Amino acid sequence: MHAFSTMRSLAAASLIVCPALLGTLPAVHAQDVTLEVWSHEADEPAKVAFRELAARSLERAHSGVKVKITWYEKNPLFAALKTALPAGKGPDVFYLEPDQVEYISAGYIIPLDDLVNWNNIEPWARKVWTHNGKTYGIPQEAYTVELYYNRDLLKKLGVALPANAQFTQAQFLDLVKKARAAGMTPISQGVGDRPYPGAYLTVEALLRKLGPDDYQKLFTGKLSFADPRVVEVLQWVKEVVDAGAYPKNFMTLKLGESHYYFYTKPGALLLPMGSFYTGRAFVPEDKGGQPPDFPLGIMQFPSMDRGACNECKTSTIGASFAINAASKQKQLGAEFLNAMSTPQMGKMWIETVYLQTGIKADVKSFSGPHATYFTELMERQKGEKYFIGQPRDMVTGECKDTFAQVLNSGFPGGLLSVDQAVGMMNKACYKG
Amino acid sequence: MFGSAGRDAAKVEIDARRGGLGVLLAFLAPALIIYAGFTIYPVLRTFYNAFHAIKPQGVVEFVGFGNFTALLLADPVFWKAVTNTALFTLVATIVDVAGGLLLALCLFARAPLAPLLRVIWFTPVLMSYVVVGILWVWIFDYDWGLANASLRWLGLGALEQSWLGQPSTALWSVLFAHEWKWLGFNMIVFLAALHALPAEVLGAAELDNCGWLAKLIYIIAPMLRTTIGNLIVLSFIGKMMVFDLIWVMTGGGPLWSTETVSTYVYKRAFEWNTFDLGYPSAIAVLWFVIILAFVAIVTRALRQRDRLEF
Repeated sequence: MHAFSTMRSLAAASLIVCPALLGTLPAVHAQDVTLEVWSHEADEPAKVAFRELAARSLERAHSGVKVKITWYEKNPLFAALKTALPAGKGPDVFYLEPDQVEYISAGYIIPLDDLVNWNNIEPWARKVWTHNGKTYGIPQEAYTVELYYNRDLLKKLGVALPANAQFTQAQFLDLVKKARAAGMTPISQGVGDRPYPGAYLTVEALLRKLGPDDYQKLFTGKLSFADPRVVEVLQWVKEVVDAGAYPKNFMTLKLGESHYYFYTKPGALLLPMGSFYTGRAFVPEDKGGQPPDFPLGIMQFPSMDRGACNECKTSTIGASFAINAASKQKQLGAEFLNAMSTPQMGKMWIETVYLQTGIKADVKSFSGPHATYFTELMERQKGEKYFIGQPRDMVTGECKDTFAQVLNSGFPGGLLSVDQAVGMMNKACYKG
Repeated sequence: MFGSAGRDAAKVEIDARRGGLGVLLAFLAPALIIYAGFTIYPVLRTFYNAFHAIKPQGVVEFVGFGNFTALLLADPVFWKAVTNTALFTLVATIVDVAGGLLLALCLFARAPLAPLLRVIWFTPVLMSYVVVGILWVWIFDYDWGLANASLRWLGLGALEQSWLGQPSTALWSVLFAHEWKWLGFNMIVFLAALHALPAEVLGAAELDNCGWLAKLIYIIAPMLRTTIGNLIVLSFIGKMMVFDLIWVMTGGGPLWSTETVSTYVYKRAFEWNTFDLGYPSAIAVLWFVIILAFVAIVTRALRQRDRLEF
């Protein structure tokens, strides 16, 4: 009797539990295939529209295929990937940036050389993702590091931009002092949520002073930060910082807020930023974009005295996509990458995101409300020599952390002397 | 339809407490499986990882105490994080407990507007640390933050600071934000304990002309000893693992001045261009052992040998 009642109780429990579990399982049809994609840039409507368009395009081309894009912010995306991939899970296709070489060395992403149509990709952009002769990511977003300025404020200071749009380092320092004296914030910049914008001025100056080869050596541990040329640059940056270049809330100002600070409230003379500036600035004003009549201009970063390459400029690849080595749908994943990389999509990227791209796009003239901007951006690229990659693409581990704490925040934040900055960077990065 | 004997039999059949092991397992299994999967396994795995280097593609290499040696002997950021966490824990625990008790006493003594104050002091407890962090980042903003604006309004503009931007003030600013959020919790716990105190004892003390300070030290505090002990342990554990508020407000900066052990574990695990969870696991394990040891010591120290009867 007791055994019978136990069985009845078990059966009752099963009846309660099983339907509950079964109810959570979706009905699966054999012909349905879902391609899982994880992407950053949920807060940039033009990029969301771009990738969703490619997804719908792939779905139309393959009946029974569904592309599900999960939108993330950057840090949660990478935290999710770093736990999902070692477990053999994760999406089929995901967003990645070229500094994340650990995904390659760990074997979590596959070479795309034979999977993707590379005829639609700029060779220089492909090279950024090429390691040991194999290409691991498809470059979508390309950008240059630019120095944006407010034309009206520059005029108000009585300063004229040189014909080559580049001040000397002394003129730039003088400009910062003039702006501060006039009650303006000279440079809108903040490091509240990113490990790199505070270093823009310093690293662009280092690139021009050292030239591409020594610049690369510096951030790969082969050149000391105590090199006299590096120290000269840091001393100049220190003068700029001490002249009150940055806002007082530099340490907590977030990337998006620094844009708003620049073009709306309280306003600033300069904003060093990647040309992905447009993603935040060219949205409607009520969504945080710049006012329609904002007098935006672009100048070159200042030339350095005895600079080895004053026409050098940082260009790099940002948003890219890779295919999970554990994906069961690699070919379909590659087709999604191809769908995002046609010349038509490249044209759409430029015309809607207002940003350079690694996709070959035949755009001879620009139209639309921001055509003037894009024309000026292209004008600033004439005669420039590009250094492909940023310091954060080259440094890892302790050096990367120290770069974020020292060159990105502590030094431009006025918390460190030149000697302290040199000592800390050398300790973490220099292998000589 | 049923006689009383029949009703008794039906009662026996549906009483789960009298069921066999199978019935118990059937009801316990869902909770046990979830607990094993989401708590026990991650903890065991963290211990396992701490003694290994986790290489790509599932390759695991035994390194013994290598990770522990490296972090104890050659990692200055770890020691900075330990110092910050210890300071934060010590100060926050003292302020949490002492401050909570003071606020509770204030309400217990029926201060003017006590019901309103109770709501005001307790409301921040209902907010998440992320919301509190964002709120206080705004308040501490140099240009438009309430903190500096208040100082300027009071004519104390010379004292305005980049509160979160200076290594000398950043940790204290985060601590202040934490206290704003958490004091109300301890206050409510103390208030409940105060209301449970025997009125005769407090009344007798008053008849003996016992002053309020003497009453607090010699009458109330000893009777609240268990509550104080529990809150100290809870507060201590919470502060030793502080992460979210620091992460939202400073991210461990400037210059590692607010780096805590938890933020450092996260950075080593997810922001160092590596999939090796061995080293961060070693930090987590070491910290777990330290917390366990401290909790054991504090609990033993606060153990009440002579139980008060009231």
